Amino acid sequence: MIFKQFRYEPLNQASYLVGCPKAKEAFIIDPIEGLGADFYVLEAADLGLAIVGVFETHVHADYVSCARDLAEMNGCPHYLHENAPTTYPYTAFKDGDVFGVGQVDMTCLFTPGHTPEHTSYLITDKSRSDEPWAVLTGDCLFVGDVGRPDLLVGDQALDVMDEGERARTQFATINDLLFSLPDHVEVYPNHYGGSLCGGVNMSGKNSSTIYYEKKYNLAMQKPDAGAFAQFVQDTAKPLPDDYEKIKSYNLGLLEKEELQGAGV
Amino acid sequence: MTEYQENQLLDARGLLCPMPIVKAGKVMRGMEDGEVLKILATDRGSIVDFPAWCEDTGNELLEWHEEDDGFVFFIKKVEEED
Amino acid sequence: MTPAEVRAAQQEGAAVLDLRTPHPFAAEHLEGALSVQFNRADLVDRVELVFPEDLPMIMHGEPEAIGKVAAKLLADAGFPVLGHLEGGLKAWKAEGLPVVQLPTMDVDELKERMDEFTVVDARDPFEFKYGHVPGSGILSWTEAWYEADKAGDDPPIAVICGDEIRSVLVASILARKGKNAELVTGGMVDWIERDYPIEKGMG
Repeated sequence: MIFKQFRYEPLNQASYLVGCPKAKEAFIIDPIEGLGADFYVLEAADLGLAIVGVFETHVHADYVSCARDLAEMNGCPHYLHENAPTTYPYTAFKDGDVFGVGQVDMTCLFTPGHTPEHTSYLITDKSRSDEPWAVLTGDCLFVGDVGRPDLLVGDQALDVMDEGERARTQFATINDLLFSLPDHVEVYPNHYGGSLCGGVNMSGKNSSTIYYEKKYNLAMQKPDAGAFAQFVQDTAKPLPDDYEKIKSYNLGLLEKEELQGAGV
Repeated sequence: MTEYQENQLLDARGLLCPMPIVKAGKVMRGMEDGEVLKILATDRGSIVDFPAWCEDTGNELLEWHEEDDGFVFFIKKVEEED
Repeated sequence: MTPAEVRAAQQEGAAVLDLRTPHPFAAEHLEGALSVQFNRADLVDRVELVFPEDLPMIMHGEPEAIGKVAAKLLADAGFPVLGHLEGGLKAWKAEGLPVVQLPTMDVDELKERMDEFTVVDARDPFEFKYGHVPGSGILSWTEAWYEADKAGDDPPIAVICGDEIRSVLVASILARKGKNAELVTGGMVDWIERDYPIEKGMG
């Protein structure tokens, strides 16, 4: 298996390449416009891999995504959970769907809360074992922190779930779905220390494990969803600039020119 | 696993076979008899290539192993007898 | 360059370098194209070892971004690069221009049908000497461009290397010269993994 994390420092964002050197194919997860579609194309080519799928954990509000461009360029599908409320077409998957490149399986684990369509991706390298090895947790679970549940556009027609409901869902999702994974599973999130998508406790370390987050993630030590929601609110950072504009572009409500440099 | 002390390091990661060999040949030419060259390579062909190259040139493959991001080879230069 | 311009240049002797990985190339490629897998680390070194320095070349990358980067890398190194194919395979086919396939076989098939083919090894002499398919001959990737004419027309040629990258290059060089070439997928790595017989020495 080839597994690469790309860090985009200006926005503390992490994207991923998951591939199989024998099959010579790879998936890209959460590509960011700041690096650009060409960047991913060349990185994959350098590794001798063709990009056959572009996945996103959710529709982002804090950075401009280049997933659509990247998928079009490579003539491959742009995957999102079936709940994703975009105006443009994408290839929808459901909870539990499995996608593969060669010996590597990527299982879709629906983990709503931060957004209603949020999905984590479980990585299994079958050439080594049938046990999951890592989980890409997007903005659901961070190293030392959790994703904030309040960053939606505010348009009720598009947003599903109110803020309170999302906080409760986030708490349950992490406890029931992520913390039930084996302890050894490595956690690779979409953001790291400094990002505005989480709170003040987010670590700058690029990965963690289910074991360590279960034990030491402060937000998840709270006894119930109510205390959890309060803690997240108290430790949240100010809303990112332009998040409405960024989210609108990623949803397909705005053209690229209208962004005027926001979120890159 | 013994850790050999290398006199020179060649980072051939990302190179397609047989380029790691081509580069190793160039570096070896500038080395002294008995010196050790450490090579990092990602191409799978290297596993067969380096033993074959050593058999051909008389250089000694001391040891090789796989690490997270590729393969590591330790090769000792052996000057051919005239 | 537009597909029509690329075709015209080909007819004047320019070579199209297809930068994709071996399997998509084998499935379908521009007629006459050569397979030279892209990377930034050593594309220039490899092209230098295989092709004459005055060969006009055109890049074909999918996506196009790869073609552009390759064109620049090689042009900066002093090669006569004419450009890259705009619109890729899609545009080429839309113009009704010819595409061809490269037949492939895995090592199991090669073992079974060995007598039907001339087996050719695209690796370097020291690798061939260390161990090759019994009865195979050597046509090194660095010699293939210059020696391709000497290859026989019959029986068909099965090209093998360590994995697939040098063999697909040599197979495409042979095919461009009108020879009947096929690619052995999985290469010597698979052959050895299955414990198939090996011959040593220069053959």
